[in-house]
Amino acid sequence: MSIRRRQVLSGSAAGAVSLASGLAAPAIAANEPIKIGYLPALTGPSSSTGIGINRGTLLAVDEVNASGGINGRKIELIVRDTQSDPTKAVNAVAELTQRQKVSIIWGPLNSGEALAATPLIARDKVPMLHPCWVDSLIDVKKYPMAFRNAPTNTQVGAAANRYVVDILKLKKVAVVSDTTGYGTASVETYVPMLKAKGAEVVYSGHIDAANPDLKPDMLRMRDSGAQAIMPWSVNAGFLSRILNTRGAMGWDVPVVGQTTLGSGQTKALLEKPENWNKVYSNNFRNVCYKDGKLSARGQEFVEHLRKAKIEMGDTLLWWIALGWDGARLMAETIKAAGGTAPEQIVGYWNKLKDWPGVYGTVTWTPEQHNGFPDEEVVMCEVNSLKDGAFNLAPGYSS
Amino acid sequence: MDASAQPISVRAARPSRLARLEAALPWLALAVAGIGLPLLDDSYAGVIAQRACIYWILCAGLNLVVGFAGQIAIGWVALLTLGAYTTAVLTAGTVTAEWHPYLALAASAVFGAIFGVVVGLPALRLRTFYFAMTTLGFATIVTQVALAWKSVTGGGIGTPGPVFPWPFDPGWGFYYFCLLLAAIATWMTANIAHSRFGRALVAVRDAEVAAEASGIAKPRLLVTVFLFSGALAGVAGGLFSSLQSYITPDAFTFDLSVLFFIAILIGGRGSILGPLLGTIILTVLPEFAAPLVAWSTFLYATLLLLIVLVIPGGIADLLDYKNRRPLEQHREITPRPELLGQVFRHGRDSREFTLSNIALHFGGVRAIDGLDLAVRSGEVHGLIGPNGSGKTTTLNVISGYYAPHAGEARLNREPLPFLMPHRRAAYGIARTFQTPRLIGGASVLENVMIGGTIDGQATFTESMLTLPRHRRDEAQLREAATLALTTVGLESLAGVRADRLQHSELRFMEIARALMLRPAFLLLDEPAAGLSAEEIRRLGALIKAISRQGAGVLLVEHHADLIFDICDRVTVLNLGKVLAAGTPTEIRSHREVVSAYLGA
Amino acid sequence: MFESILSYGLAVGAVYALIGITYNVMYSASRVFSFTAGMLGMLGGVLGAWFIAKLGLPVIVGLVLVLACGAVIGIVTEIVTVRPVLKSIEQHLYVLSTLAFALMVQQFTAIEWGTEAQPFPRLIPIGPGWLDQQFWLPMLACAATIFGLEFLYRRTLIGRAFLAIAEDSYAARALGLPEQRLRLASFALAGMIGTLAGFTGAEMLLAFFGNQSILNFYGFVPVALGGMGSNRGAVVGGLALGLFQQAANFLVGGIFAAVAVFVVFIVVLLLRPEGLGGAAAARRV
Repeated sequence: MSIRRRQVLSGSAAGAVSLASGLAAPAIAANEPIKIGYLPALTGPSSSTGIGINRGTLLAVDEVNASGGINGRKIELIVRDTQSDPTKAVNAVAELTQRQKVSIIWGPLNSGEALAATPLIARDKVPMLHPCWVDSLIDVKKYPMAFRNAPTNTQVGAAANRYVVDILKLKKVAVVSDTTGYGTASVETYVPMLKAKGAEVVYSGHIDAANPDLKPDMLRMRDSGAQAIMPWSVNAGFLSRILNTRGAMGWDVPVVGQTTLGSGQTKALLEKPENWNKVYSNNFRNVCYKDGKLSARGQEFVEHLRKAKIEMGDTLLWWIALGWDGARLMAETIKAAGGTAPEQIVGYWNKLKDWPGVYGTVTWTPEQHNGFPDEEVVMCEVNSLKDGAFNLAPGYSS
Repeated sequence: MDASAQPISVRAARPSRLARLEAALPWLALAVAGIGLPLLDDSYAGVIAQRACIYWILCAGLNLVVGFAGQIAIGWVALLTLGAYTTAVLTAGTVTAEWHPYLALAASAVFGAIFGVVVGLPALRLRTFYFAMTTLGFATIVTQVALAWKSVTGGGIGTPGPVFPWPFDPGWGFYYFCLLLAAIATWMTANIAHSRFGRALVAVRDAEVAAEASGIAKPRLLVTVFLFSGALAGVAGGLFSSLQSYITPDAFTFDLSVLFFIAILIGGRGSILGPLLGTIILTVLPEFAAPLVAWSTFLYATLLLLIVLVIPGGIADLLDYKNRRPLEQHREITPRPELLGQVFRHGRDSREFTLSNIALHFGGVRAIDGLDLAVRSGEVHGLIGPNGSGKTTTLNVISGYYAPHAGEARLNREPLPFLMPHRRAAYGIARTFQTPRLIGGASVLENVMIGGTIDGQATFTESMLTLPRHRRDEAQLREAATLALTTVGLESLAGVRADRLQHSELRFMEIARALMLRPAFLLLDEPAAGLSAEEIRRLGALIKAISRQGAGVLLVEHHADLIFDICDRVTVLNLGKVLAAGTPTEIRSHREVVSAYLGA
Repeated sequence: MFESILSYGLAVGAVYALIGITYNVMYSASRVFSFTAGMLGMLGGVLGAWFIAKLGLPVIVGLVLVLACGAVIGIVTEIVTVRPVLKSIEQHLYVLSTLAFALMVQQFTAIEWGTEAQPFPRLIPIGPGWLDQQFWLPMLACAATIFGLEFLYRRTLIGRAFLAIAEDSYAARALGLPEQRLRLASFALAGMIGTLAGFTGAEMLLAFFGNQSILNFYGFVPVALGGMGSNRGAVVGGLALGLFQQAANFLVGGIFAAVAVFVVFIVVLLLRPEGLGGAAAARRV
């Protein structure tokens, strides 16, 4: 009884508040732009992801604005290049939340900066959407307004591990990374997962990405009997060196790992095209070719990009798709939620189910802010690159 | 000396109230701006201001190392990294029990101090460029260790930073904490700058040889400074980890190290206000326009190049109005020998200095070949000879810069050790140099105060906190230096930058500096070189009066007239050997001396 | 494993040695330790990649152009950062002016060329394996430079003029040698040697701005250990460093190898501040 009364009271109080804010809203909001903060790393060591995502985001925002905006209000995307530097990210967060008073923050796009930015954005109580993979970035208790529309490291690693152990049926694995936050976190997480699946991790370690000679490490891997190499890094130079050394050694083992294995930058640094054989990287079902065709959504997106004359060949399709999805999701949220107040946005997100993104189908609940479905993380065959997308790796049943 | 005359009272001029207000103005303005910042209600400005305060805490300490001591410590970010991780790890409770943030911050200070010495120690052995490279090496090592030591630092994933409790919690509370610590750091470093330690640092930087002769021991001084600077850097690191809320190794970039270093140089060496403004400017600059962020390090480097080429003195130079006022054109140096009584009031009691059978060779060249020399108190002893005969080398042996291969030196029959030039001052042995050694950027008064450094009683900590003993020291040093300057006739130039002086004035300034030691023995290396005839005459009278106060003067000179005028004894060197020794009259007519050196 | 240490170690050591020689040539002419040696190496790789890979010029033309650019940059360095500073009393400033210039060039490269490492084109189709040309090209360049410099210093007049300036610039000037022009020529020569080092080493190190800091430090180690001004010391030091680094890579792996190099460097310097082959400091009083 008392509970019900409390509920009724709180319900009516909430109703009164929303009514009041609803009444107040039109006066201010009429034609003011909707400010969205955007924190890509467009320069600096980890900028290849940012450049790709940027294309999708800018395209989506331009199209929304060209068709009249959201309820007549244009989106103002306030871009602050973090330069892959956490200190610049922190400064930028303060500017976006305090001075610009943005409604949502999209990004940062790299885990290193996100680790520093997330607590601050949470402290400033601004809704946050980001595509970084490090697991600890999402925590419904600590950061109730932070949501992720990309897979977690665990999901990505699980897909790769599934491919090596269940599909390729290999037992002995070498797991390596560079020395960045992302790389080290990945190895920490994946090695136990592999062991739990019954595989034997014969070699694991972190290698300085600036080291030009990977022969010593590769020889150690071979000597330990590795049947597959799993590298985790977004550094194209590092990954290409692994592939080149493998080729120079004439060591014919599959390389299964991070998406950047298949990027245009990695390809450019290969000594021989054959070095790209038997390399499988993470990718996402919607943007992979199966029997020569993309999914319906993917195909539609690619045509769209072609018409808008967006370059795909020197980057990855899924980065562009990710950027596109993020921007479109934010726009749709504001439209559907009816405003830019944090509760409206977060409330809408907490109930999102099977949102049809090109990159992935997003579902969130109040307990789960990681929105990417397990089954949509797949491995693709890297030397089948065409227009930024790849063939699904051999062995998948569906 | 005229015993019946009243001692002329020579008061050190205290800066007028207006001058003091003028000096305090920029600090007042900064304080007002700092305290009033929250009124703008702009938390973004708050974050930037916090960052500027934190960077300044580190730069205040680094300023003493780079700006004052002149050490090119480019890799100082190593200490920021260390301080940040120390505080973060201790408060996170992953390795030890959870520490309270204030205690963790104190621990950062301690670790910072220790590692400040470790990073800085090579400076005592290595040349500038080499030392710069070792600091870069340290910066890389610290980052690599942070990456590799996953169990403690979290490796590449990093670790969360501390949150300070109320009233210094994140937001304006923490801002005031940073501002408070920045103010304290400024106060302490300013105190050091205006103490004998600050002056000694600059002396070691610009005139190392003169500093040694004044008794300044470089190793101890530098180690103290590294301890202090390291501690400040550690504290800055702890605050940094709180501001970032989460630290990873990739936050401590080479760019950051460069920022600190350039901020100090843009501000100007030997100044506190300059580097403070430099730090603020460099922190705030990239925030003015988003495109600037990407180009920020390029801009810093360009600024540095411009400063080096156009205004090497930096912002401090620009703000130095006093030293742009033109000086009087025809200045005369009028020494007042009658004041020497006051100078030597607490003189020393030494009778004789002797060199016996000194031999020194450089490679195949015998610079000194069996030299006997005795300098007695109250006497002016001239040392003459052709160029290359070993005169300056002899002085250097007496000063302790060279160790002879044979022979010994004695002071009142006690043997004197070699190769410890900074100990000579304690024995009351002072000297001037063939080329005047001065600190160009400091005032004439400060240059002379260097001479009295070893008379100071206050410790580094007392100076840092301006405790009474420090204030007494400063007052006394000032008095003594003003007296010395008045004695040599340069009191009107006391506040002028030393590099604006004429050559002859510099020579007299060196004598004033030497007088600060109330020397028992004064070594003069060609003090008359470059002086006009009238100046030489006044110099001669001054030297004579100094010896009448009981000091033993060894005068190396080429001006034969001066030598024969004032010397009581003369020794003639040729090719490292004593050619002749005796009274001036004897020497003047000595046949070999005439043929080898004097001429008919 | 052994051939890998040998081939890689000697090759990268030859690059370090060449950078060390670059430092030496600049020092001999002016008594200036310039921070621009690493910058020249970096530019050798970046400009080479630009000319040959992006603009499609033939390899020889690319090499000649890169050397020409190196000479020009060396001359600019002297005029902008060294000459104005040597005139002033505050001699230490050259450290700062060269540092500032090197940083400007590095940042400019990072922004315009990009921060990702770019591939460097294969120069001669020999290899792969441990006879791969990416290994012996730097060694060849190093040997050629050493012999070239020996010939220059001992047999030609201009070379002996360089030596004279290095020995005693006052005396040389008194003899009528045009010190300023010779210094300019020295910096141009240093520019060419530095870019040659970067060009031949870029197949291993790739072309990107980060090479500057790496080469600055690792190119300085041979000089510090072998003695400033001693080219022979630089070569020995460079090759030894390359081998040590590779061996450390094999034995302990990436991160600790770098730490090992730094620690050895600092310890040796502290024990012998003038380097293992250098002379004691000159008279300062």
